[in-house]
Amino acid sequence: MAADWEEIRRLAADFQRAQFADTVQRLSERNCIEIVAKLVLEKKLDVVHTLDGKEYVTPAQINREVRDELYMQRGRINVVDLQKIINVDLVHVEGRASEIAKSDKSTQLILGQLIDKTYLDRLAEEVNDKLQEAGQVNIAELSKTYDLPGDFLTGELNARLGRVIMGQIDQCNRGVIFTQAFVSRHKARICGLFSAITRPTQINNLLNLYGFQENLLYSVLEELVSSGRLKGSVTGGRQDKAIYVPDIYSKAQSTWVESFLKQNGYLEFEPLTRLGIPDPVNYIKKKFKSSKLLFLKSACVGRTIVDQLEASVEEAINSASWVDLQPMLPSSLSEEDVGILLNEVLRAMNVQSSARLLSTSVVSEKFISGCLALFDDIMQQKAQKEVKNNPVFLITEEDVKQASFLLETSASSRKDKRDDRRKKGTEGSGSVKGGGGGNAREIRIRKTKKKSRREEDSDEETSHTSQGRNKLGDMSFLSVEEIMQVLEKKVCDSSEEMLQELAEQILRPLSKLYQEVVSAAFMSTSSTGAGGSRKKNMKDLQEEINNLYNNIRLFEKGTKLFSDETQATIARHVLKTVCTDVTNVLLSLVAAEHMTSDSSTAITSEIRLKILAKLSDEVKCPLMKLHNSLNGKAIEEFLSCLETSAEECGLLLKKGDKKRERQALFVHRQALLEQLKDAEDPALVLHLTSILLFQNVTHCMLHAPGRCVPHIIGFLQSKIPEDQLKLLSQYQGLVVKQLVVQGHGLEKNSSLGEEDSPVVPDDVESLQKELHSLSRDVKDIILAQKKASE
Amino acid sequence: MADEATRKAVSDIPLLKTNSGPRDKELWVQRLREEYLALIKYVENNKAADNDWFRLESNKEGTRWFGKCWYIHELLKYEFDLEFDIPVTYPATAPEVAIPELDGKTAKMYRGGKICLTDHFKPLWARNVPKFGLAHLMALGLGPWLAVEIPDLIAKGIIEHKEQQNS
Repeated sequence: MAADWEEIRRLAADFQRAQFADTVQRLSERNCIEIVAKLVLEKKLDVVHTLDGKEYVTPAQINREVRDELYMQRGRINVVDLQKIINVDLVHVEGRASEIAKSDKSTQLILGQLIDKTYLDRLAEEVNDKLQEAGQVNIAELSKTYDLPGDFLTGELNARLGRVIMGQIDQCNRGVIFTQAFVSRHKARICGLFSAITRPTQINNLLNLYGFQENLLYSVLEELVSSGRLKGSVTGGRQDKAIYVPDIYSKAQSTWVESFLKQNGYLEFEPLTRLGIPDPVNYIKKKFKSSKLLFLKSACVGRTIVDQLEASVEEAINSASWVDLQPMLPSSLSEEDVGILLNEVLRAMNVQSSARLLSTSVVSEKFISGCLALFDDIMQQKAQKEVKNNPVFLITEEDVKQASFLLETSASSRKDKRDDRRKKGTEGSGSVKGGGGGNAREIRIRKTKKKSRREEDSDEETSHTSQGRNKLGDMSFLSVEEIMQVLEKKVCDSSEEMLQELAEQILRPLSKLYQEVVSAAFMSTSSTGAGGSRKKNMKDLQEEINNLYNNIRLFEKGTKLFSDETQATIARHVLKTVCTDVTNVLLSLVAAEHMTSDSSTAITSEIRLKILAKLSDEVKCPLMKLHNSLNGKAIEEFLSCLETSAEECGLLLKKGDKKRERQALFVHRQALLEQLKDAEDPALVLHLTSILLFQNVTHCMLHAPGRCVPHIIGFLQSKIPEDQLKLLSQYQGLVVKQLVVQGHGLEKNSSLGEEDSPVVPDDVESLQKELHSLSRDVKDIILAQKKASE
Repeated sequence: MADEATRKAVSDIPLLKTNSGPRDKELWVQRLREEYLALIKYVENNKAADNDWFRLESNKEGTRWFGKCWYIHELLKYEFDLEFDIPVTYPATAPEVAIPELDGKTAKMYRGGKICLTDHFKPLWARNVPKFGLAHLMALGLGPWLAVEIPDLIAKGIIEHKEQQNS
């Protein structure tokens, strides 16, 4: 029992011992961490725990580890990788790393990477290997492959240049490193290539073609060019457009240009551009500053050619001839340029007034006027012919044409025309008071005015339609071809073209001249036909009409002595002859006044109608009546019509007094006598004789047709002596017989042929002999009587 | 029941075999001997686990026990006296542990500073009579009570650290 309690006591002691035993030495992890944390907090301990929390690491250990790692990684390690390896917080790694980089000169922190000097040395060696292999390395590429910033690389490599890296950096472009060998190889290639170039070449093309380094190329090229090794120049700077122009080329270019200009005296721009001169005009201007070049559209011309041209032009002018400049001109000049050039030459010489340019020929004005003179004769002849050839037709045609032109031209010009005509009408009516002389002059002035106007009109027409002009030209004078023919005859050794040009040139003045000539011819002919005086005027016309008027009156008087039937025949004859004449004269006068056209002797009733159609109404009406009365039978009616018409036309008809009448009778008789003296034809002799006898007996003028001769002789039967009558009737019989025979002969000749012809000539011969002898006697009746009476 | 650590600690404590109270003279010695062995084992275990949290000793007869217990909260060690008697009906009835210092400071306590053990403890104890002993009482009774109550009381400001009190 006691032993048991003893054991209890021992156990209790054990228990106490167990309780106080080794508790102190035991430190739990928790506590440990707490203690360390406290120590770190109190800055009594400087440790860093690893990320997994299993270890504490001192900074010195980190430092060592970092260094070891850097060495292990051959001098270059990323801080992030370091953090993984060392397994502490990134902040501590970074701090350590930057501290190392700061403290150790051979280590650097670049882009979060720790880099050692040994690494850089090795890198430089690698670069050098690459450089020796390729000849050149690009720092940009290096920075890509090594994943390092270019600036850093450049700096580091620069520092090792010449020591580790055997090469040089391009001065202009710091991004490339070359070996000397590479550079010289390049240089040699460039030198060779550019020495071989003979024409301007785009450097860019060469770059692509031969794979040069652009920067190197330019620097080497510049060096070579400036040192004189390459003879040439680079234009366009260091751009894509840069062009290398070898001296040899520009020299060849300029020598070509110079020699061409020297040889030919001109320069075309186009070949220059083909030679590669971009702005030929300026190039030439710069090159030939001193020489005076004449710049045309597509070429420039030297002094020599211009001088030559001027000389020949001057010669042509001085010798009053012409010269074709075509052979003196460079054949390659365009027509336009030739025109410019020749105009320039003429202007420079100041001879525009004395010479004219016809395409490539220069013709002196004297020569042209000479050519015009050639046509004087032809013109005169043609004008005469024209006048004879029924000019009214011509004129009316002209008028018709003019009318058609008027239709084509603007309304205003037509109005002008109408105004003109109306004015003329009023002036015409005004001239009733004004009297003859002034009016006539007015007419002439107006005529010329009108002509010039027509000229203008035709000018307009030519611009509109060349056809119209041709027509007008044809009509007015010779055609171009005709002119050319004439010219060809007179002016030899000239080309056809030149002739044509010349002809076209003188066509206008010729037709102008021609019109003047024609009008002059008209005037002269019409005035001679009317009164014999050279210049026809109103007074002459008036007098003529008056004369005729009085004659008609006298004729009428004579007519009245016959029986009705004969009277009618004679009246009709009078109407057909003298009265028609009067009408014509009057009409032509009016026509002249209104339409510039001159009448002539041969106006038929058709033409009369035509003229009438163009007259204004007030004048037209009485004249129409007059015209109609010509076809009537009564002379009185005609006379009254004539009087009114004359009044309308502003003419004063004087009724003849006795003295005037007698004078008219005398003149008439004298005229008849003259005629009789020269007459040979028996019928005419008989006719004249009978009329003269009639006048002698009745003191009345008679104007009768041949048909009425028997009637006249019948009338004379009782009034003249027996022998005369006998002679007359005998002669009359013979005349009748002769007429009959002649008529038969004609008939036979035409119908039967020559079978009976031997018989007839006998008859005729005897008849003619008889007639011949008798006609002298018959003439004597009058002539002798006249002498006796005198 | 209690947490995993407690359960592990309890399972490491050797179970008792003798079913006898203080009144049974010889058998009580037997029992007391087993009690001491279990306690030594428990303390040794605690020390091995760096979880030493009490000091305990008894009177000569082993009927009255007293000592200290402590709790570390926020790096401060809070120490309390404790005492309890072995009831006559022991081991059928569990002893009532008292911390007189904390008397009237918490609701989970009977008069005299006897701690109010959890509802689970009594049936657990009852089921394990006579296998549970004083070591089990400490591990399953006082230990959890302290772990729950002391931080609460400190947070409420009812208990203050002694050093701070002094200073």
